Amino acid sequence: MNIFIQILLNSLETGGIYALASLGIILIYRTSNTQNYAQGSLSMFNAFITTFILIKTGLPVGIVAILGMFCAFFVGVLVDRVVISRTLKMHSVSKQIITLGLIMIFLGIAPMIFGTDPLQFPRFLYGSHSVLGATISYNAIVNISVGIIIMLVLFFMLQKSKWGLSVRATASNDVVARMMGIPTPLITMASWAIAAALGTLSALMLAPTTSVNLSMMDGVQVIALLSCVLGGFQTFYGPVVAAYIIGTVSNLLSYYVSSTWSDSILYLLILALILFRPNGLFGKKIVKKV
Amino acid sequence: MSKQEKKQAVKAKSNSPYKQYLLFGLVLLLIPVLVHIGVIKYSFLTIIASILIYSIVALGVNLLVGYSGLVSLGTAGFMGMGTYLAAYFTADLKLPFEISLIISVAVPMIIGVVTGLVSLRIEGYYLAIATLAISEILRKVFVEFDVVTNGFSGKDADYPTMLGFFELDRNSTFILIVVILIAVMFITHNFINSYTGRALSTMRGSEAAAQAMGINIYRYRLLSFAVAVGYAALGGVLYIHFIKYTYPNAWTLLFSLNILAVIIIGGVRSIPGTILGAFIVFGVPDLILKNLPVIGDIDGLAYVFNGVLIIVVILLYPAGLIHFWHNTKMKLAKGRKGKEGNHA
Repeated sequence: MNIFIQILLNSLETGGIYALASLGIILIYRTSNTQNYAQGSLSMFNAFITTFILIKTGLPVGIVAILGMFCAFFVGVLVDRVVISRTLKMHSVSKQIITLGLIMIFLGIAPMIFGTDPLQFPRFLYGSHSVLGATISYNAIVNISVGIIIMLVLFFMLQKSKWGLSVRATASNDVVARMMGIPTPLITMASWAIAAALGTLSALMLAPTTSVNLSMMDGVQVIALLSCVLGGFQTFYGPVVAAYIIGTVSNLLSYYVSSTWSDSILYLLILALILFRPNGLFGKKIVKKV
Repeated sequence: MSKQEKKQAVKAKSNSPYKQYLLFGLVLLLIPVLVHIGVIKYSFLTIIASILIYSIVALGVNLLVGYSGLVSLGTAGFMGMGTYLAAYFTADLKLPFEISLIISVAVPMIIGVVTGLVSLRIEGYYLAIATLAISEILRKVFVEFDVVTNGFSGKDADYPTMLGFFELDRNSTFILIVVILIAVMFITHNFINSYTGRALSTMRGSEAAAQAMGINIYRYRLLSFAVAVGYAALGGVLYIHFIKYTYPNAWTLLFSLNILAVIIIGGVRSIPGTILGAFIVFGVPDLILKNLPVIGDIDGLAYVFNGVLIIVVILLYPAGLIHFWHNTKMKLAKGRKGKEGNHA
């Protein structure tokens, strides 16, 4: 029983990391109409920047993380202004391939600036506490709560603020939204910036357990895309809920079945599940018109 | 046959690219000779051979991306699987090259078809995500299943032995690769111009129209994906028999991205474009960038080069660089005409 609670607590943490990354992907999907395959490498690149700031300045980790998210925000703006804003009228396949090109650029630039050696990023807090016989580190508590708070704030903004209304309008119909006077290019840019910041936060939460290296976000990228598939691309909350489900199932599989093959089994399970619910768990069927 | 028809037939014949392909093959066959004389470096042959192998793989992906508008991110996984299977069958089980070739291409194709069966029922982009997942699983298999794959340390194989007694060396394996590449180019050309190819073209134009004309989109998408996987596995078999070594980290997402870069940069739906793209993506970094002073030593330069090139080509030159010369000529001619018009 203790172990089960332990697994659930761990799942909240890993699920949170996946949820942040997938929220970024779904924001971009809804406003730019493309799957962003570069979410992982964008986050990896910004995690490198953050770690670099930490090493150079020696500021407290929390402040550095916030600085890193600001950097990510600007990198997101830059990516949108330089590349994505020029692809508005393109076919979605071309846009997807452009994000694949972005992956190559980030993977190439990162070792040029920061070297090929992996860097270490510390935890936000050290020490641990035991709950119901399971231990949970303070760092995990910070990660879980920060993740949930940020997501709640975002959802609140999406539903209640003017910005959220504009995002939802852009997502449902780009052309009409523009006619109504919504500055859709600005909204798309903001989505890229926020997505980059969210992804960077997830990378920084992951960093202490792995290290900051070129392939740190590969697994997260795959799982974040799969949670968008599982949750459905039509809603904002679907992928987030799916990310938590995937995190939990992944931890359960790696404890009770096999730690080496847990990810592979998980991928196959999700691919099989899609057969029965093609639009995801929370998706709605969209009727295609000719 | 009337004069008109005859003229058309002659024209069609001279337009058929078989001769060009054969000529290209003959030029490639000169390379081992030049290496033997000492005009070009020994390592040059390896680079060219790998470019040719990647061209085969990219031709398959080009069919998939160009005609069904689907993206596969699993190319690396399927090609890697081809290399491992071929190495296992010929080096460990001592099977003849030909039988190993058939099995090593068939097994990845079966896995590909199963993946396609599942993911193609749904929206197009599911294939990209599904193949990404499958590729990750395959890479895990390469690492963990070390009875067959030898784990992280990688697996060796030898030059192929044809028909059981004819042992090939480096140069003759190169010739084999050239022959297979030219054959694949012929097959792809015929495939595109066959009934199936025309169905694929219709599908590209408008899915709804194609469906209305009785073309089963699901089946043709599956077919083009199966061809892409088959070419990838074939490339894998050739790779292991020429490079003679395979290891799990060669088959990451980056490799699949490079193959996509080949067709985007070279030219979607163009066979010569694919070859041009392969030379740009895999050749330019190895042959030119690495030899440049100062910047040649920077890590990751090749990735940035290809990444930037992909984006620039998509933004400015969506048809691919193969049409560059032709289009520039047209533009120049047009510009001149326009100017003359203004003067008048």
